[in-house]
Amino acid sequence: MNIDYEDLSDELRCVTLSGRMDIAGSDSIATKFAALTAGSNRRVIVDLTAVSFLASIGIRSLISNAKALQQRGGKLVLLVNGGDAVAKTLETTGVDSLIPMFIDIALAKSAATS
Amino acid sequence: MLTAERAATRLEIKANAEEIRTASNWLAALGIQNELPDDAKHRLDVCLNESLANVMAHGGPSALTNPVVLHFRYRRDDSHGVAVLTVSDAGRAFDPAHPAAPSRPHTLTEAEPGGLGLIMMQRSADHILYHRMGNRNVATFSVRWTT
Repeated sequence: MNIDYEDLSDELRCVTLSGRMDIAGSDSIATKFAALTAGSNRRVIVDLTAVSFLASIGIRSLISNAKALQQRGGKLVLLVNGGDAVAKTLETTGVDSLIPMFIDIALAKSAATS
Repeated sequence: MLTAERAATRLEIKANAEEIRTASNWLAALGIQNELPDDAKHRLDVCLNESLANVMAHGGPSALTNPVVLHFRYRRDDSHGVAVLTVSDAGRAFDPAHPAAPSRPHTLTEAEPGGLGLIMMQRSADHILYHRMGNRNVATFSVRWTT
């Protein structure tokens, strides 16, 4: 699994994940993922459009980082492909009601910084 | 009318992250070989990953030191297809069809780790069967589709 990022502004960061977010994949990015979402008042878009598979451990990682960010006054939102397996998994588990989820990057940016 | 039935296919792995990935690749190859619809392939992959993750996390020492045995079966007739994945492990007794999966949290603050795998297995499989055979769990996940 790969992780990369782009700072879209001083406060807004887009973290892009790609590959399989299973146990092996989640473990491989855990430290860097936490580091990239660290900092007070950080706004983060996590781009999952290149994630091919999302296991429960991957979801726990998203929730964990979103909670930590929220506790520091920040916000995390998700960018997904509409209707694909990852989006369906997030809907099935109810994560889409916990962490805002978008298929449009402009809406994701707006929500992250609101 | 039964038009296609393939021989069962078997794989033995250890319950660790690397071999769970191997098992997923094995299952993916079978899915392509047998022309399963993408949705069916994904649902089986979810059942496989979550059941093996559960074995790793909660099965105890015997689950980690003894092999996990996987079986894949597939059949198709004129109107529907069904793929069946059986996962057998030597861990503590655990029935993935019961207990009922925990209810979904309503806020990020109240969200806790745990229970997601069970929700995902129960919502991905059309049917889950479980029995205990000696000191082994045997869980069978069925996924169906119309052709």
